[in-house]
Amino acid sequence: MRGRPLLFTSYEADQALMPTTTKKVALTVFLIALVLVPVYDVIPLAPDFLSKDDWLKVLTNVMIFAIGALGLNILTGLAGQVSLGHAFFMGLGAYTAAALGAPEGPLVGLGLPIWIWLPAAAVVPALVGVLVGPTAVRVRGLYLAIVTLGLVFIGEYVFRNAESWTGGSQSGRTFPRFQFRLWKEEEPLIDFSRKGTWFGIELSNEAKTYILLLGLVIVATLIAKNLQRTRVGRAFQAIRDRDIAAEVMGVDEVRYKLLAFGISSAFAGVSGALLASFVGRTIPERWDLLLSVQFIAIILIGGAGTVTGTLMGSLFVIALPRVVQDFTGWLSDKIAAGEGIVAKVGDFFIATSGDDFGIVNTLPGTGPGLSVFQLNLVLYGLLIIVFLIFEPLGLYGIWLRVRNYWKGWPFTY
Amino acid sequence: MRIKHRWVALLMVLGLIAAACGGGGAEAPEETAATTAPPATTAPPAGGGDGGEEPMDDGMMEIKTDVGVDLEAGVIKIGLLSDLTGPFGPLVSLIVAGQEVFWQNVNDTGGINGLKVELEVRDTQYVVDNHVQFYEELKDEVVAFGHSTGSPHTVAIVPQLEEDGILAIPLTWYSGWTDADLGENLLHHGAPYCIEAQNMIEYLMKQAQANGVENPKLAIASLPGDYGLDSAAGAKIAAETLGLEVVYDGSGTIIPTDESTLTANADAIVASGADIVWITATPGSFAPIYGQAIAEGFQALWGGAGPTFNPAFVAPDSAIKDAIARDWYQSSYYANWFDDNPGSTEARELFAKYRPDAPAQDFYIEGFIEGMMMKAALEKAYENGDMTQAGVLAAAKSLEQVDFNGMAPPERFTGTPNEQLQRYIYISRPDPEGLAAGTSTGLQMIEELYIADIVKDYVFEEACYKLGG
Repeated sequence: MRGRPLLFTSYEADQALMPTTTKKVALTVFLIALVLVPVYDVIPLAPDFLSKDDWLKVLTNVMIFAIGALGLNILTGLAGQVSLGHAFFMGLGAYTAAALGAPEGPLVGLGLPIWIWLPAAAVVPALVGVLVGPTAVRVRGLYLAIVTLGLVFIGEYVFRNAESWTGGSQSGRTFPRFQFRLWKEEEPLIDFSRKGTWFGIELSNEAKTYILLLGLVIVATLIAKNLQRTRVGRAFQAIRDRDIAAEVMGVDEVRYKLLAFGISSAFAGVSGALLASFVGRTIPERWDLLLSVQFIAIILIGGAGTVTGTLMGSLFVIALPRVVQDFTGWLSDKIAAGEGIVAKVGDFFIATSGDDFGIVNTLPGTGPGLSVFQLNLVLYGLLIIVFLIFEPLGLYGIWLRVRNYWKGWPFTY
Repeated sequence: MRIKHRWVALLMVLGLIAAACGGGGAEAPEETAATTAPPATTAPPAGGGDGGEEPMDDGMMEIKTDVGVDLEAGVIKIGLLSDLTGPFGPLVSLIVAGQEVFWQNVNDTGGINGLKVELEVRDTQYVVDNHVQFYEELKDEVVAFGHSTGSPHTVAIVPQLEEDGILAIPLTWYSGWTDADLGENLLHHGAPYCIEAQNMIEYLMKQAQANGVENPKLAIASLPGDYGLDSAAGAKIAAETLGLEVVYDGSGTIIPTDESTLTANADAIVASGADIVWITATPGSFAPIYGQAIAEGFQALWGGAGPTFNPAFVAPDSAIKDAIARDWYQSSYYANWFDDNPGSTEARELFAKYRPDAPAQDFYIEGFIEGMMMKAALEKAYENGDMTQAGVLAAAKSLEQVDFNGMAPPERFTGTPNEQLQRYIYISRPDPEGLAAGTSTGLQMIEELYIADIVKDYVFEEACYKLGG
């Protein structure tokens, strides 16, 4: 009905992913803005710095982590199963991809094309996740966290010792590049790893990889978002809320918990394969507990249980170090130029010389306060705690508050 | 949670973090190296920066530049991919400090023909992803990389370095860098782990024979990866060439995070009854192994790659100080801090001038060595009139020889890999008295520019240990 956007007159309309016109329009605009990021330098009024190769790499990294985080969100946020084992499944996906997709050589590699190794990187961890499932089905909460923690350590040991697959501890191996071939040809059909020209626009390899990942993350988001409104998704939510009550109502607990582990491991596997290929070379120690914790941080800061929250969380956590670094650099520029209130306020926080007072220093050497890198580490921990204490719904919760405030403005009360 | 409780909780958390930060505002720069706050990025200069510049036209010879050199502002930018807060943080922080003092002195004494060098330091935390990320960030800002920490990390950026045509100095002594395929854009320096091991095994064999053991038996243990396995490979080559029996081969079995591997190695070394032990590990994983072995009454000649030893082992309060002073033979790629060669002497003077509170550490010399190589490359590039990234790379690779003022043997960058291979090391013994008295860094040099007979004859074709494909 016109003028009444929230009045739904059919089941399909109610369950639609984009129920209102505002959402449809906003999403379309946002997607177009995302696709155009690599060419922001030729669009007036757009932030040019985003189209530089290094920022494109940051954004691509954000998207890779977003795919993995969406998987963990399904497991933890939707189905309520705590899991610290995400890093293990990522490693599994990465080495599956390497074993299938890397060129033949001293280490295991079959040289198969991307349309085989990427789906395989989803399937193999999913199967392993389902194998692990029955152990996890018996326990809940803290104990489940410890069971999945064990997975990470088993993984570390296995990856370290499976030298012909992983290259061995501290040495590592190279991973297949982002190149689309039909079957083992010399020249790939589409090569994302070298610069080239698409539709008449000259793009660097970073830009092409960004577009590839954008496509993949859109697909992943669609799957994750859609899952919430299917029968499986509803079963997950029932299990999350009260698994015994769900069982009583006829939701097969074992089946759906196994499914949750399988689906989340598939996402993790794809994310791991993409991460390893994106960096190009990585060591088995990469898939450690800290990586799992990073994903937990992403979904907690973003807002557990929501897809939008997960995406916001990935952007926040992965781009944060770079933002802090750039911001302190910009601030110290302003202080050096000495103009205005920004300089004066900034001077309090930043130490520009050995005798200056500051919480952060930007000196080429040891100085008072923290270095930018230490600041990043501190902020990371601090933010997780702050969000848990003050905003359990995470960034999504903050977004909701802001949106609701402006929806009713000026009659917000 | 009630509002009041939440704020209390937040305050406690902030307190915890403040405690964790440790050395903050009011304190003077930290005394001990191990807790030194790592250096931060330099503030970007007020002028110019990273665009293509027109050649200067003021009567000077025209110099081509593209990235990282701003002739108008008179600034050259060098990138450092360092591990400041990761597993090698304390060590690399000292090397970065050495580079900073070196360049500070260069800038104050005229710079590179008037151009001042600025360092852009990035903390990779020894994670390959970060290393690659920072490389991407800096490749459009700096003209070359003053050091790149970690072998797998450096190998990860080698394809990009080759594609982008940029020079880097690896901060590892892996033998692969002398290999023309891998080291095309890299300036190797210092005897590789493999050569170091061969030198030391022959030296230790001669020591054992002087002590009356005709056919000393060799035990080998190491970390996995390029560092441990390259060194272990060298030890095995030496054993084969010299005809020594290897009674225990634990190469690649020391896992610092897994204590069971440490006890297993200690047991195996003791059980093997070896006369020489070659162990390549981190100080933190070496100490338990050594401690357990000597507690069981084991005695032999111990040696390992340079980074295995930490001067803290001979500190006055160390439990193993006397034993290790008796057993350990330390090898290194450059001279000691307190040595009286001109380079070390000048380095000590510069530190006294710019960083009087910094404690004496041998690792600063590595920073000076890296700085001297980069300076030679930059000066040559300036002479050639081409200070683009490719120009600096070409200049570096055309350097016949770089001298280090007596701190280290000269490095050659022209000729076959076999001709370029660095074969000389320095041998020291632990010096607890000197450390206590402040006259040494815990090591006393006994052999300068040592080369074993087997190393003289060694023909270098490829890396001793191949990093996984």
